[in-house]
Amino acid sequence: MEFYIRDIRGRVKKILILAGLCFLLLSFPVHALNDLNQIDITELSLEELMDMKITSVSKKPQKMYDAAAAVFVITQDDIRRSGVTSIPEALRLVPGLEVARIDANKWAITSRGFNGRFANKLLVLIDGRSVYTPLFSGVFWQMKNPVLEDVERIEVIRGPGATLWGANAVNGVINIITKDAEETQGGLVSARIGTKDRGSGSVRYGARVGDDAYFRVYAKYSDRDNSVFASGSEANDNWDLRRAGFRLDWRTPYDDSWTLQGDIFTGNNSQTVTEPYLYAPYSRTFEDNNEIGGGNILTRWKHVFSESSDMALQLYYDRTEHEDTTLRENRDTIDIDFQHRFAVGESQEVLWGVGYRFTSGDIGNRFSVALEPDNRNDHLYSAFVQDDITLIEDKLRLTLGSKFEHNDYTGFEYQPNARVLITPDPHHTIWAAVSRAVRTPSQVEHDARINTEVVPPGTAKNPSALPVLLTAQGDDDFRSEELTAYEVGYRVLATDNLFLDIATFYNVYDNLRTLETGTTSLEPSPAPLHLVLPSTVGNEMNGETYGAEVVADWRPVDGWRLQAAYSYLRIFLHLEDGSTDTISESAEEESPRNQFSLRSSMDLYRNLEWDMWLRYVDDLPALNVDSYVSLDTRLAWNMRRNLVLSVVGRNLLDRRHPEFGTPLFVDTLPTEVERSVYGKIEWSF
Amino acid sequence: MRDKIYRYIGLIIVCFVLSWAQSPYAESTTPREYLIKAGFLYNFAKFVEWPDDAFADGSIPLNLCILGNDPFGPALRSVEGETFMGRKLIVRRFSSLREIDSCHILFISSSEKKRLPAILDRMKGKQILSVADMEGFARRGGIINLIKVKDRIRFEINVDAARRAGLKISSKLLNLATIVREDGGGGQR
Repeated sequence: MEFYIRDIRGRVKKILILAGLCFLLLSFPVHALNDLNQIDITELSLEELMDMKITSVSKKPQKMYDAAAAVFVITQDDIRRSGVTSIPEALRLVPGLEVARIDANKWAITSRGFNGRFANKLLVLIDGRSVYTPLFSGVFWQMKNPVLEDVERIEVIRGPGATLWGANAVNGVINIITKDAEETQGGLVSARIGTKDRGSGSVRYGARVGDDAYFRVYAKYSDRDNSVFASGSEANDNWDLRRAGFRLDWRTPYDDSWTLQGDIFTGNNSQTVTEPYLYAPYSRTFEDNNEIGGGNILTRWKHVFSESSDMALQLYYDRTEHEDTTLRENRDTIDIDFQHRFAVGESQEVLWGVGYRFTSGDIGNRFSVALEPDNRNDHLYSAFVQDDITLIEDKLRLTLGSKFEHNDYTGFEYQPNARVLITPDPHHTIWAAVSRAVRTPSQVEHDARINTEVVPPGTAKNPSALPVLLTAQGDDDFRSEELTAYEVGYRVLATDNLFLDIATFYNVYDNLRTLETGTTSLEPSPAPLHLVLPSTVGNEMNGETYGAEVVADWRPVDGWRLQAAYSYLRIFLHLEDGSTDTISESAEEESPRNQFSLRSSMDLYRNLEWDMWLRYVDDLPALNVDSYVSLDTRLAWNMRRNLVLSVVGRNLLDRRHPEFGTPLFVDTLPTEVERSVYGKIEWSF
Repeated sequence: MRDKIYRYIGLIIVCFVLSWAQSPYAESTTPREYLIKAGFLYNFAKFVEWPDDAFADGSIPLNLCILGNDPFGPALRSVEGETFMGRKLIVRRFSSLREIDSCHILFISSSEKKRLPAILDRMKGKQILSVADMEGFARRGGIINLIKVKDRIRFEINVDAARRAGLKISSKLLNLATIVREDGGGGQR
């Protein structure tokens, strides 16, 4: 009996506690969120208003989601609420993208496999300006750091986008779009300081000139602290960047708009490099500084002929410089691009364009990396045509198109695709696509010799009396890597507040890059006399990848948004018979098989925002990197309409963890990502 | 321990579901449609410029008038008191035509549909931005008409009427609008 009573008392106590908790939760955020009238209409832009459904908030987020491709859009809101401080970090928001930090200023970023610091199957554009370097077909992410507050959105296409965008858009396209100057009127000052941030800030001012033109000018400074090595000792990977620029937008009421924008930047990023050395101890590890700088100017003119016809002409010049112990590169690029859209009859819309790009790379050769010739001018001619055919109005659309281009490495390339979009009703979209894309050779794969390692004499691996220098070498006969991609996707607005997006793919690759082991020869220079064992690039690998990316976007109540994403990826690579490659197949195990993320964005009361972001990334067995779970959180207080204070905690679940291994070719020591906190103040006037 | 965590997570979910189920959706006093339209009114105030002589002096507020039954309810409360070009916005509600002379923005409620010709006539030569949500409003001489297109709100601008009223409409608005002309053609950009 006594036991019985005690038991009941325990239960009552428990129930009371639970009821109390429940009450707290009930009275806490959700009520405040529910009332639609809580939305401050003065904070909505015209575009947002036009996108709102009368019946309920539209959850099918953007028009871009009507595309027959695996599309994801990072909005300014996502950037702000996630608390990210750089473009690479923002890209972690995209389901299925692989983003791994190598050190505080280097990233390995790719889509659907083949990751690495020199990942080469992704095309990245900022306001229509291509920012991957033809040097290795990859991106120096530490140079690409616009004022995040001025980014309007980042559009990401996973899978080939080659028909519209061209070579290198093999596994994905990232398009960073900054705001129109009219959207950035007035002043904005933002400053950030934290445990890993030595202090960063940006200033922007925008105003109107004349009747129809707007401009903004901005300057940004950021300075990140060193992180730590796996051993726990402080690394040498700080990163600072100074950037200044402007944008001018002018438009007439009806037909024309014109943009002129440009920026310049300079900075330093430190690293610890291990370089082969021909004398004992045959390698040397030292702290190194990479000086980066550059600038660009772009102009774009758009003209509207009629509702169904318009054109755009774009011209830009870009200069990029970087120099460290392993290499110097000064590159000039000039690009001109023309596009025209017009309707044919009632049901067809044709988009076509032509482009020309001149790029000149001036390389300063070093012992580690040397190119022959060290100065090269390349011309790229391209054209594309795409026909969008409505077979059944509002129900069935077919898109056929191809890109044709001529480059100085492999000559003529064609990249066709066919896409079909089925929308049985406004809530469901099914799409499928077959496309071919190529990844054309980079300058390094053609012209470079990279000294990667010295095998000391008199060891098991090298019993001879001379040191053996291992090299990776480019080859004039290196061909394009080829992809045929098969994709199927499904999107559904399941209920008014739940949006689901599923994309699946099966990619077949051919002529993938390998490193074919050559024969040893004697090399007297540089002294001392040594043997050289070259590995030369070849196209001796094929493979398949398949996977899926799932996104669920749920807004249980107004003011609370939950976004879950899961992605799965398998890679199978096969060397051709006779290939002597020993490393390229390891790409199978250098990408996470499973990735998961969950984001919660909550408007607590009118002026408080609370965000949480949980991520899981699977292990990378070939790089000895364990899986990790990270948790970021942000609390922001809109103190006044024009003053926002926020605190962001990142990687809260562990003290530190690695995300990637030592990059291939140029041996920079990886560092670990630590737990960090920063505070930010944003003042607009 | 783990069981306990699951139990708490379960509880949290139950609480959310409960609170959601009893959420006061029904109490929302302004229909969503007019909440959005109020947002448009706010933006119109932002992107339209009145000539200087539309205001007797610097202290004159920007008058947003509602003629007829007010469909906005409390939705305009957050707009009231906002400043546009240094002028506080004030919301006024009228039923008589005689009072509209002091208005800068005049929203004509659909309750006034029948006397629209008289209203438009009365506004002639005045520097008033007329807004309504009636079919054909812009074509008949009104300046901005809010229309429903599928599930969303769009707007038409009669640029001729705007010009006559001496108002300068920002290119941003014009770009998003359907341009309507009075010659009956009604072009689209």
